[in-house]
Amino acid sequence: MVMKLPAGSTEDYIVKVENLHVYFTKGGMFSKKTVIKALDGVSLTIRNREILGVVGESGSGKTTLGRTTIGLQKPTSGNVYLRVDGREINVAKTPLKKLGRYVQMIYQDPYSSIDPIMRVYDVLAMPLKYRKETDIDAKIEEAMRLVNLPLELLENRVYQLSGGQRQRLSIARAIVVNPRYVVADEPTTMLDASLKGEILKIIKDAREVKNISFMLITHELPIAKIISDRIAVLYLGKLVELGRADEIIRNPLHPYTQALIDAYPTINPELKDKIKEMKIKPDIIRPERGCVFAPRCPFAMPKCKEEEPQLKEVSQGHYVACWLY
Amino acid sequence: MLLEVKNLKIYFYTKRGVVRAVDGVNLNVDKGEIVGLAGESGSGKSTIGYGIMRLVPFPGKIVDGQILFEGEDILKLDENTFRKNYRWKKIAMVFQGSMSGFTPVFKIKDQIIEVLKIHGWEGDYEKRVEELFKMVNLDPMLANKYPHELSGGQKQRAFIAMALALNPDLLIADEPTTALDVIVQEYIVNLFKKLRKELGISIIFITHDLALLSEISDRVYVMYAGKIMESGPSEVIFKKPRHPYTQALIESIATLDKNEIKGIPGSMPDLSKPPLGCRFNTRCPFAKDICFKEEPKMKEFSDGDEVACWLY
Repeated sequence: MVMKLPAGSTEDYIVKVENLHVYFTKGGMFSKKTVIKALDGVSLTIRNREILGVVGESGSGKTTLGRTTIGLQKPTSGNVYLRVDGREINVAKTPLKKLGRYVQMIYQDPYSSIDPIMRVYDVLAMPLKYRKETDIDAKIEEAMRLVNLPLELLENRVYQLSGGQRQRLSIARAIVVNPRYVVADEPTTMLDASLKGEILKIIKDAREVKNISFMLITHELPIAKIISDRIAVLYLGKLVELGRADEIIRNPLHPYTQALIDAYPTINPELKDKIKEMKIKPDIIRPERGCVFAPRCPFAMPKCKEEEPQLKEVSQGHYVACWLY
Repeated sequence: MLLEVKNLKIYFYTKRGVVRAVDGVNLNVDKGEIVGLAGESGSGKSTIGYGIMRLVPFPGKIVDGQILFEGEDILKLDENTFRKNYRWKKIAMVFQGSMSGFTPVFKIKDQIIEVLKIHGWEGDYEKRVEELFKMVNLDPMLANKYPHELSGGQKQRAFIAMALALNPDLLIADEPTTALDVIVQEYIVNLFKKLRKELGISIIFITHDLALLSEISDRVYVMYAGKIMESGPSEVIFKKPRHPYTQALIESIATLDKNEIKGIPGSMPDLSKPPLGCRFNTRCPFAKDICFKEEPKMKEFSDGDEVACWLY
């Protein structure tokens, strides 16, 4: 049987996520046991050399999606496939040690994700030595150059680096082993505005030079717009919209995406005396059935509360899960 | 003038040396005004907030300057008088991590009532809590819950309610929305605007998010490395900023209409060894000889803008 590819896929993919469910259970010892559906039936692909932006509020499942695609989280059901060296491997069934050759992660907090007392050289040498690679020094130099860190810093300890330098080092650590696919989880969130631009440029350069595909997880829509080829919008574990980055920002279809874009501040001092009209409620409510966004949606119809909408291609390559379309 | 900060200096006495986190800052807040305080991390903006609350953490110390609140220098008061008459009563503060500022083991209502009791609030406690919750757009029923039962945005609003409990004249909001999602952030910004309108409260809004600041503040102070670089009405700061740092900072804001964002190369100087001259000289594209020798003085312009830069 030939499986149909997920929405928005081309044959040229590196990561394929199929009907992915990740559930967590909370409580049980002293309180009532509840099941949290962090991901609830997500399917998508990441193309070769693509930067896929994944946006959503906290609790949308975006970090869980990233972690599951590189094997750090086991799916409750559904599959993640990685296409490397001309074959397809099932991520959940492959040991992490083997996966580490192909996939890497960049974390949000450069202060807690790298051991502060290590030498910069060792931070980069460790993953190479672990894989018994050769030409370690040449590989380290290449990675340092790609992330714009001066080679003099190699002998420094990590705590001597600034926040921006640490985040660049964390990118260098991820790409030094020549991975095919990297998940960057909020890589600019902890950084000052003046440093974000450079981090984005480095990620783009890494894609160009090393042909790496990226999943970039962020809650900052402008960051997703600037760096991604396509954007996936997650809400309460569901993929609600998917399409080309500029298209999603210019012509958002899902009422949730529209609300996110509306709420994003612009440079506009004329607004200072105006109280913006709020179309949707601030607090997330998880409905029993129907569309997950229906309890907050200004356009909710009776059907939305009963039946869940499926992803639908509304214009070429632009998918939305909403009964309005 | 409700608040006048004059030549405020807050230094941290660390093993590495004296870090001049706030180094001669002047700042005014009028009644009913929302004043933005912007800058990168480490610029000293939060330290000013803590200074006004007289809560500068060890090893920091206010070493010089005056903080006049309704004309009274609150730095001259003894701790007891300040605590009784000013802190939380006239000046309150909301922090970035306020969400985690509640004790997990007591109901939110009881924690707010505790504040009312300690400060000798006269009136019906329960009714006051209900009133406060309505003020911040929260269902008063939520007051009976424990902090962990509320979402981040709800907790942040509950904390704002607690800060407002004693009807302060000045609210210092230090990155109050940074950890929140944009839709919740918009609610909180609306809430601050409403409080100013309905209660006439003054707000110092401290943030690194300039786009957000542009939508809320009447006037903005831009801080860099412990110094105010530029201050002026929002229209001037965001539409035609004069200081190269303000210009670069605004260029670097990520907004949805941009296709790339420019950064500011370099990093902030070590404030235990601040550079001679202008503190922005190491990163400024226009730096000339004098910028490395002498510190620029504040210069006033007819549109209300004040700039410390040798270009003018």
